[in-house]
Amino acid sequence: MREQFKGVVLVILLGLFALAGALIPGTQIAYAHEISIALTLIAVALGYRIYRHGIRSLLHKNITAQLFATIAIFISVIAGLVIPSASATGTAEAVGYLTASAIVAFIILAGMTLEDYIIHRTRGALETLIKMSPKTARVRRDGKEVQVPIDEVKKGEIVLVKPGDNIPVDGTVLSGHSTVNQATITGESIPIEKTVGDRTFAGTLNENGALEIIVEKVAEDTTLAHLIQLVEEAQEKKAPIQNIADRFTTYFLPIMTIVSSSVFVASYFTLGFEVALARTVTVLLVACPCALSIAVPVAVAATIGNASMNAIIIKGGTHIEKLKDVTLVAFDKTGTLTIGEPRVVEVKTFGNYSEADTIKYAAIAEKFSEHPLSKAIIAKATEMNLKIPDPTDFKTIPGQGVDAHFGNKHILIGRKMTETIISVEANQLMSKVESEGKTVIPVALDKNVIGIIVVADTVRANSLEAIQRLKRLGVKTAMLTGDNVRTAKSIADQVGVDEYHAELLPEQKVAYIGELKKGNVVAMVGDGVNDAPALANSDVGFAMGAAGSDVAIETADVALLGDDLTKVEYAISLSRKAFTRMKGNIIYAFIWNIVALSLAAFGILNPVLAVVLAEAGCISVVINSALLLLSKPKPLAKIKG
Amino acid sequence: MSIEKVILNALKTDCTGCSTCADFKADNLQHAIARLNGVTKVKVDEITGKTTIEYDTQKIILSKITERFEKLGYQVEIVSREEIR
Repeated sequence: MREQFKGVVLVILLGLFALAGALIPGTQIAYAHEISIALTLIAVALGYRIYRHGIRSLLHKNITAQLFATIAIFISVIAGLVIPSASATGTAEAVGYLTASAIVAFIILAGMTLEDYIIHRTRGALETLIKMSPKTARVRRDGKEVQVPIDEVKKGEIVLVKPGDNIPVDGTVLSGHSTVNQATITGESIPIEKTVGDRTFAGTLNENGALEIIVEKVAEDTTLAHLIQLVEEAQEKKAPIQNIADRFTTYFLPIMTIVSSSVFVASYFTLGFEVALARTVTVLLVACPCALSIAVPVAVAATIGNASMNAIIIKGGTHIEKLKDVTLVAFDKTGTLTIGEPRVVEVKTFGNYSEADTIKYAAIAEKFSEHPLSKAIIAKATEMNLKIPDPTDFKTIPGQGVDAHFGNKHILIGRKMTETIISVEANQLMSKVESEGKTVIPVALDKNVIGIIVVADTVRANSLEAIQRLKRLGVKTAMLTGDNVRTAKSIADQVGVDEYHAELLPEQKVAYIGELKKGNVVAMVGDGVNDAPALANSDVGFAMGAAGSDVAIETADVALLGDDLTKVEYAISLSRKAFTRMKGNIIYAFIWNIVALSLAAFGILNPVLAVVLAEAGCISVVINSALLLLSKPKPLAKIKG
Repeated sequence: MSIEKVILNALKTDCTGCSTCADFKADNLQHAIARLNGVTKVKVDEITGKTTIEYDTQKIILSKITERFEKLGYQVEIVSREEIR
């Protein structure tokens, strides 16, 4: 920040001295001419950043645009002092060499300062994350609460987090109950309930309750710190398209050395020394490879920065280029398109019994069972605000169901348990539901089937929207699963994927990705752990819900930190946009250079116009790239989930 | 506290012929290294790639610092290393 302020002050000073130097000759002051020269020379000298850079680069055997500018300004100053009456070119007769060099220095320095400013803005996304990194933590030590710097907090210590404070560590809740906004990490702005046993992330916001947390990871080991490092690394990773720009810029400046010498020699023999000098200076000023060399790196940084603000980590420029070409996205089913745990999706009742009765008696019988289906029923009962008393006695029969008593009532749960008492009508209904890939749980009360609970793994709220968005982008979709065909078809129909492939073993998934890759650029979306091999075999591997799983983040080319699958489409469309910008930047910079150079060589530009043109080319490329930071994903319609 | 000063050559052929680009890269590198726990001072020369770092040897070891450079895509070469406090 201080550097930037210093930069701006220098630019303003330079401008003021140049202006004063140019205006004084028109006044009646004694020694006006001498004062003007002195002021202008000071102005030129204030552009020392340019000359220092140019000369130091040369000493380091590197030719840069700043070196050319230095030579051009130096020549102009000498010319201005030696031939005071000299005029630059036909179009700038009024401007002397000396004034011209001050103006040139001013424009270049102003350009450099402005570019620095814009470019540093691309760090903004990263700075937002860094700002969320906690500096201190309140730790319980020897029965007292003490505030300590974060790097003094040890693993296993207990930190206390007040309502409204940032959580300082990755850890597990030891006591307390609160809601936590984890947007920093997962991009999900709806707060999540946290209670005993839940994991917390450093840099997330504790909202309304106090929490005691056992420290597991601190400072540089936290998920947040890893994310910051990943983004830093990703922003440094070149996009392949940059090689085109690099190849060009490597030859550009040496060639320009030859061009400017040729222009000088040719003009000297045809138009005389003064014109030759002016044209050479102009050529040197216009020969700026800046737009080309910066076209890609800033766009890459801005794209990755933008993605990180949307809880997407794209791990480098190469992946941006791969992403833009994706023609097919393959999704894993369980835990990716679906939530991955069974839930009660429907309750069918018989006789006078209500939905609540069925759930209540089932929940009583299942109260102490750890089975996933039991958990689904208990969760449903909790959701319906039902009070669940303990069963008088209960017996779980593996693979069959539960036999329980509640007071004088006898409860039977499960298909096998109710085989002999179920009606033909109910049986038909159950077969039909099962054919849709769902699980049925009949509930009997005193040997009388009162209802059927339908349980299924449900699709995520955003899955359908995610698939639709991809389709709109012209990207094909597929679902790969190890599950049976019936369940696969049911889920595939709900989310609307173009094709699905069921009963695939993990190694078959890998092979199938290989098949899909014939004729498609394939992205694979999975949890990044179980399907890591399939992800690795795809062109772009997406790990979803990756926050907190270092393995998943490590394996993936793109990590979606939250569970929002619509981010797949956003990553692809952002990359397409980014690549178009990069390509556009390169073509534009190339044409700009050729045109400006031709104009300069044939004396149509004067040095001031030349430098304006060169800086404008560079700045427009920088702005065009930096604007990628402002892209936003389409808002999601409010979906309950 | 024991502070060591190390000078590294950090090489990367990313930006050619343009100070803005070189500044950009140097600035990113400087920020990334400065954030390492235990690093007290960093100065990256955008032209030569010479990087001067001061760090607390009780908090961080040199190999951790050079590892970070490598992850960021820089090849490093240690020029000098001395204890200053």
